Amino acid sequence: MRDVAIIGVGMIPFGRRDEDSLLDLLAYSSIKALDDAGLGDKGVDAVYVANMGAGILQHQTSVASALVDRLGLLPAAADAVENGPASGASAIKNGLLAVASGYYDLVLVAGAEKMREVVGWKATDFVATMTHPEVEYPYGITLPGMAGMLTRLYMEKYGLTREQLIAVALKNQQMGALNPYAHVEMVITKEGIFDSPDSVVNNPVAADPLHLYDMCPVSDGSAAVVLCPLEKAKEFSNKVPIIIAGFGQATDTHTLQERDDPTDLKAVTLASKQAFERAKLKPSDVDVAELHDAFTILEIAESEHAGFFKKGEGGKAVENGETSLGGKLPINMSGGLKARGHPVGATGVAQVVDIVFQLRHDLPKERQVKNAKVGFTLNFGGFGNNIVAFVLRRAE
Amino acid sequence: MKKELEITGYKCKHCGRVHYPFHDRCLDCKRREFEELPAEGDAKLLAYTQIFNLPWGFDSRFLIIGVVEFENKIKAMGQIRADSLDTLKTGMKLRPAWEPVRREAGEDVYGLALYPK
Repeated sequence: MRDVAIIGVGMIPFGRRDEDSLLDLLAYSSIKALDDAGLGDKGVDAVYVANMGAGILQHQTSVASALVDRLGLLPAAADAVENGPASGASAIKNGLLAVASGYYDLVLVAGAEKMREVVGWKATDFVATMTHPEVEYPYGITLPGMAGMLTRLYMEKYGLTREQLIAVALKNQQMGALNPYAHVEMVITKEGIFDSPDSVVNNPVAADPLHLYDMCPVSDGSAAVVLCPLEKAKEFSNKVPIIIAGFGQATDTHTLQERDDPTDLKAVTLASKQAFERAKLKPSDVDVAELHDAFTILEIAESEHAGFFKKGEGGKAVENGETSLGGKLPINMSGGLKARGHPVGATGVAQVVDIVFQLRHDLPKERQVKNAKVGFTLNFGGFGNNIVAFVLRRAE
Repeated sequence: MKKELEITGYKCKHCGRVHYPFHDRCLDCKRREFEELPAEGDAKLLAYTQIFNLPWGFDSRFLIIGVVEFENKIKAMGQIRADSLDTLKTGMKLRPAWEPVRREAGEDVYGLALYPK
């Protein structure tokens, strides 16, 4: 197997992009990534497109075939990859395996979703199609609802507090306000969403005990990366190659009800462990992480299950500033899904792009983790039933 | 007319794990032989939430949804018939019923409804 490097990245501002089609979004980030890789007029061997819902939301299928045509990359191999909100990381994993195996040298991976062109209930319903069609979906359960159940159980088992959840929201929106790609660029205050009379109106219950500001926004957006064998990276680009040192992927039961302990995110633990073992690194080696905070509870629970904090201590770590810039392990310096936004097919790719920015030392000091060499991403599919993790390393 | 619960669990004949819904192979021992079990008795509340942003198919302002465990170990999701969360507590017993839980194309869809006792 060959070491695989990321030699190009591209992302467009997330948010509401009424003027652009899904294919526009994919093309914009792909062109940026191809240019960043220094490929010029060169083609690529294969394209993997991460997308969850074009068939439902845009009534469009075969988006990978459409993208290679739009980009003039014919006759490159092209596949669409769908793994719910973890589609992005799954697509990168497919590209990684293809390059590592020696079958392909140059691979473009692009992820996109366009969710704002449908009304809110339709977007909620689209995401809820990930639930079990017979024993969950008919009851009206949503992904926020599942997160609400997890949060209550975490509060009962570990003493997690609302203040700790709010600390995640405050941190990530503060970082999002500094990120030009973020959907939500608004700093919020604890008074505004928690301990004032106005907070009842500003921050209503959405999925008890979670409130509006515990949720990520529904977004349009796209991100892309270019992969090649590490030994060929210098042929294309003068930028520091970022090595995908390890990946992990694991699954758990489709339904929440069949998990012995729903607070035990087994697939997160397994995927993270695999990624660290393959990278020959430990959680304590990580300088910066992007975790899948679709809901504030997830950043805390994932930080524990990935091995960064003991079970029940992730909430205290956020509250104490350990996951802020300058802390023990800065998490979601992009603003995370909470502020960057969550166009589901794009998210896993965007997480990797943000870690590449960190490991290249490309960010302004307000968001840059000093001398970052090792990064970690975790993309959370379904409600914890299909997890993909990466350990990324700056090439020396 | 009161309807019978249409919840059937599948108990692995080899290791005893109870599944709901059906799986072709046991999630634990991977064997393929199961004994069918109808859900029985009261339901113990394991987890719950109240959601306000509802998907397609619901006219109500909110839904209260929970996961319960029946006396014969079948675990299932259902809608809890309560006005608020004030009367609910993890571990409490609920009375199960089989009732309309949503409408699709003008028809009632039946499922598990749960009443505080």
